[in-house]
Amino acid sequence: MTMSRLEVQPTEVIDRSTTLRFRWNGKRFSGFEGDTIASALAAAGEHVFSRSMKYHRPRGILTADYWDPNLLVQVGDDPNVRAGHRLLEAGMDVGAQNVWPSLHRDIKAANGLVSRFLTAGFYYKTFMRPQRLWPAYERVLATFAPGGKVDPDTPHRYHDKRYSHPDVVVAGAGPAGIEAALAAAAAGARVMLVEHEHAVGGHLRYAHPEPARAALAELRAALAASDVEVLTDSTVTGRYEDNWLGIVQRSHPVAVERLIKARAKVLVVAPGLIERPYVFAGNDRPGVITSVAARRLINLWGVKPGERAVVFTANADGDAAAADLERAGVEVAAVVDGRDGRRVSAAQGPPKALEAVVAGGTRTEADLLVVAAGWTAPTSLLNMAGDRPVYDPAAARFFPSDPPGNVLATGGLAGDGRLDELRAHGAATGRLAAQRAAAVAHRYQARTARALAVTGDEPAWAADERAPLRRDRHPELYRSDTHGMVDLSEDVGSKDLVAAAREGYDSVELAKRYTTATMGSAQGKLETVNTVAAIAEARGETIAQVGTTVWRPPYAPLTLGALAGRMFEPVRVSSIHPWHEANGVRTIQAGQWIRPDHYGDPAAEVRNVRTNVGIIDVTPLGKLDLRGPDIPKLLNLLYTNKWSKLAVGKVRYGMMCAEDGVVLDDGVTGRLGPEHYLMTTTSSGAAGVWEWVENWLQTERPDWRVHVTPVTTAYASINVAGPKSRELVSRVVDGVDLSPEAFAYMEVRTATVAGVAGCFMWRIGFTGELSFELHVPAGHGLHVWEALMEAGADLGVGPFGLEGQRIMRLEKGHFIVGQDTDGLTLAPSTGMSPLIKLDKEDFAGLPELAWAADRQLPLIVAIQPDDPEIVPEEAAQIVRGDTNEILGRITSARMSPTLGRAVCLGQVEPELAAGGTKLTVLLASGQRIGATVMDHHAHFDPAGERLRG
Amino acid sequence: MLLVPCPNCGPRNSADLRYGGESHARPDPATASPLQWRGYLYLRDNPAGWLRETWYCRSGCRRWFTLERNTATNEFRDPPQPGDKRGSKA
Amino acid sequence: MADPPIFESPVVRSYETAGSGDLMLTDISATTKWLVRASGSVGAVAARLGAPFGSSSAAAGGALVLGSRPGEWIVLGTADAVAEAVEGLEAVDGADFVSALDWTHGRALFRITGRSAPRMLEKVCSLDWSDPMTPDGAVASASVAKVTCDIARNDAGGTPSYLVFCDRSLGQYLFDALIDAGDEFGLVVGPAGG
Repeated sequence: MTMSRLEVQPTEVIDRSTTLRFRWNGKRFSGFEGDTIASALAAAGEHVFSRSMKYHRPRGILTADYWDPNLLVQVGDDPNVRAGHRLLEAGMDVGAQNVWPSLHRDIKAANGLVSRFLTAGFYYKTFMRPQRLWPAYERVLATFAPGGKVDPDTPHRYHDKRYSHPDVVVAGAGPAGIEAALAAAAAGARVMLVEHEHAVGGHLRYAHPEPARAALAELRAALAASDVEVLTDSTVTGRYEDNWLGIVQRSHPVAVERLIKARAKVLVVAPGLIERPYVFAGNDRPGVITSVAARRLINLWGVKPGERAVVFTANADGDAAAADLERAGVEVAAVVDGRDGRRVSAAQGPPKALEAVVAGGTRTEADLLVVAAGWTAPTSLLNMAGDRPVYDPAAARFFPSDPPGNVLATGGLAGDGRLDELRAHGAATGRLAAQRAAAVAHRYQARTARALAVTGDEPAWAADERAPLRRDRHPELYRSDTHGMVDLSEDVGSKDLVAAAREGYDSVELAKRYTTATMGSAQGKLETVNTVAAIAEARGETIAQVGTTVWRPPYAPLTLGALAGRMFEPVRVSSIHPWHEANGVRTIQAGQWIRPDHYGDPAAEVRNVRTNVGIIDVTPLGKLDLRGPDIPKLLNLLYTNKWSKLAVGKVRYGMMCAEDGVVLDDGVTGRLGPEHYLMTTTSSGAAGVWEWVENWLQTERPDWRVHVTPVTTAYASINVAGPKSRELVSRVVDGVDLSPEAFAYMEVRTATVAGVAGCFMWRIGFTGELSFELHVPAGHGLHVWEALMEAGADLGVGPFGLEGQRIMRLEKGHFIVGQDTDGLTLAPSTGMSPLIKLDKEDFAGLPELAWAADRQLPLIVAIQPDDPEIVPEEAAQIVRGDTNEILGRITSARMSPTLGRAVCLGQVEPELAAGGTKLTVLLASGQRIGATVMDHHAHFDPAGERLRG
Repeated sequence: MLLVPCPNCGPRNSADLRYGGESHARPDPATASPLQWRGYLYLRDNPAGWLRETWYCRSGCRRWFTLERNTATNEFRDPPQPGDKRGSKA
Repeated sequence: MADPPIFESPVVRSYETAGSGDLMLTDISATTKWLVRASGSVGAVAARLGAPFGSSSAAAGGALVLGSRPGEWIVLGTADAVAEAVEGLEAVDGADFVSALDWTHGRALFRITGRSAPRMLEKVCSLDWSDPMTPDGAVASASVAKVTCDIARNDAGGTPSYLVFCDRSLGQYLFDALIDAGDEFGLVVGPAGG
């Protein structure tokens, strides 16, 4: 079989004046602008494009379009490119996939010799035991896996995403779809018309007779003059709740692919019909093609598909293909008419070619077999809308059943008819879609606060008064009297399905998964109905009785790039961040925040704080502004301790629990004025605590007068810590007496700092040192930070980061919610029982904590390894002696620069919590080390003299 | 994606909201038995059908509200008025 | 002490700026902005401020009032105009419980102006930007490039224009995300203002 370029065809889409040069398996080829990769190769005489997935059988063109299972190729670093669809570009480097060492000498084709052993479930059955060989199996099988090569160094490409809110989306731009779009737009609807192929027109594009040509020109002109947004080379990949649609646009001028998330008011489904292959011996041999493929090759690309053909036809499209072949100079050696009950039984020849066709006992020499055996209705979008299409044996295909009112089908999916009848049905569908969309639009607008006021009542839901399309009779042609391939993507034959049914996998959903039929690159478009038919035959039932698999998204495969779109990864920085970056910061990402971890030597930062003074940017600390008379009530409800008597100017620590008594968050809250408080939360808990508070106020205590506003990023927060911190702060603060008597530990003042009014300042101490925490209006944060650095130069002021702070808080034994506690840590386990006031009337988690009061709970304790040099991993288990019985775990561990030894916090069973208890810690290496529970949480300065100074 | 009828904003993508789950009354902490309290914490009716549930319009009006949804069909009953109190089971 | 410090914008990277363009993004974070909240009977405050939830209005002194949430308003403009608009609100007759706080430092604020602004915004936000659904004067909150923002349409001489507010700490990220979204429409960065 050879193919070659015909003389100019009136319908062709190629530009013969533009030659494109490319490579195929390393050799030079050329094609024309408008060619697909496959049509260019076919025109150059290539007829083997791939090797099949399991048996590595040579494969040629089958459908010459997106769904062709035999045309997956590698283009440069891009695997699994559909050569039947992808347009040829100059310089493309195209290669065959799944072949070794080459397309024409494929060693794995030996699989074909043992094909009777590679039956359904072969992999499941063969590679089960012994389990220890699984990794070895995996390595071997991976080299046999189909698909192209993914290059880990592939350059990043720009994928995009956008939202859209069209009134009507029409999926499929054949004559009915175009008419639907035009009619809907004419009725005032915003319409998006989505076409899978590179141009609109559907089957009219490759139909030769003149009426079709004129109709196509007319429809295209009307579209160009309309407001319809036309997306070609684009696919509606999924329909979800309330007509939420995924649309992948492969034809965007800027992005490689763009994913459109559209909320359509009405979806019109008009994908047309997909021609179904026929199952017989040798049906996957190169040279056996569908009638649509033959017509596309001849009429779109001017490619002669063979020299001598047999045509197996059961419908008018097959007849048209025969006419096209003769016009193209292909000798039609025989026509086997399926309407007369005749069948093709076998396609024979050497491995890579077709030599003869057997039908009705007659052998006809031919290098081309064109098959028109019937149609598959791609009802996918209807299935996704909840419809369960019904099989009509008289028409030999499925039809829509009862889709929801905002999903309408038209075109071949809805029935048959002359071109004018299909167009009329499309137009009626478009009008109905526009009417219903207007009702939905009215409802959305009326209910949306920001929208323009609507006028009039919501339009009535228009009744469906479309004249239905008829259904043409069609013979049920699925399998001949021989067995053949059902799923060419996955190499599943009709025999495999019969075997699966015999083994008990006789439900179509089970057989599909067991054999992988319909699970390959064609995703059921070509093979689903044949699969169902094979199972029905094996079960002795009808197709309607067996039913079909449910089509699920995506309609067509889409790349991970399209799904990922542009990367949106919001990151937060404080207003001091530019200083950190200019001063050698090593950052750490904590949630969304980019924070200073250290500036080169965290241990030195710790020593500087313990000796001189350090400043740390703690802006991410969660901050909530509280206003109103009922704040004490709110605080009493949220925290476990009591808040009614907190005086103005005072700060208190509190711990919050969820309703199950588990520690939720902690922090300090200060009273700035009579009805004005500032609450702080952990950095990671800021957003969650705010929602939690709003929930209480809105749903349980709506009568309380409290306003809560998140102000985390309204203030830059700077903690000034160390023995010289008072001296440093005094140099930048105006009008506040900083003496210990006037401004004591756990107090708050309003201050002007470095000329910035409206700052808050409080004395607290996470590091255990004398410290002042400044909260500065964020637009002046950098200014204040720089003022502190400048003013403290002679005091030895230096920045410290999160790591230094974590070391110092661990030296002090302060636990961190989420680090030293987890989702099961009840409040008493923190050792903070005195702060749990069970005599309060109510607070979140009270009942659970009351019941827990008598229970022995795990406790957080300070732990020191006996060998001061060993820092256990965080999450290292605490075990009983030489056993693996788990009695606790290390939750935090660091080398303390202050003490020169390892220090830890851990959670242990209650019987191990007493000071002096000897523990065994199991390290990740398997080594067991001794450790001792300390008397106090604080490894350093347990009396807390430094911070109160 | 489900379109949730926020009583304040209007129809919003469910991704704009946080699902608060089945609407549950909080028992009186002074008198609740462990069984009642843990029912409030952990037990849900999970019906296939009409369910009164809570949503938080986190990207929109930032208001909690309840509404009734049919879990089998995702149909919503007419949206309630804002300020509707949580805790009254359907 | 030193001179009163200048306002540091959350947008700290420098950009090539242009005075005009078909699609322009401008950092106006320095604009004075206050948050006003009322609960209980909100009618008295609503009557004074106008701008029911979802809409905006101009205050007598020239401030712009956005009905950002039920019982919540954002008031923005020059410092004087905003001060005039919020003056005495907490004690307005008939009000139940009102609070007002200066949010200037808490929120980044950008303006996007141009005929292609809706097409740029639909790349980063799921709201329907059509005229009936988001007319001039409309106010909404939504996720923009995964950041929760307050958004107000505030057309300039018949050209669509949008104000976008977000947490200050996310300002630089969002500014860059908007530049990326606008690139295909020829977006230019305008000189920062207030």
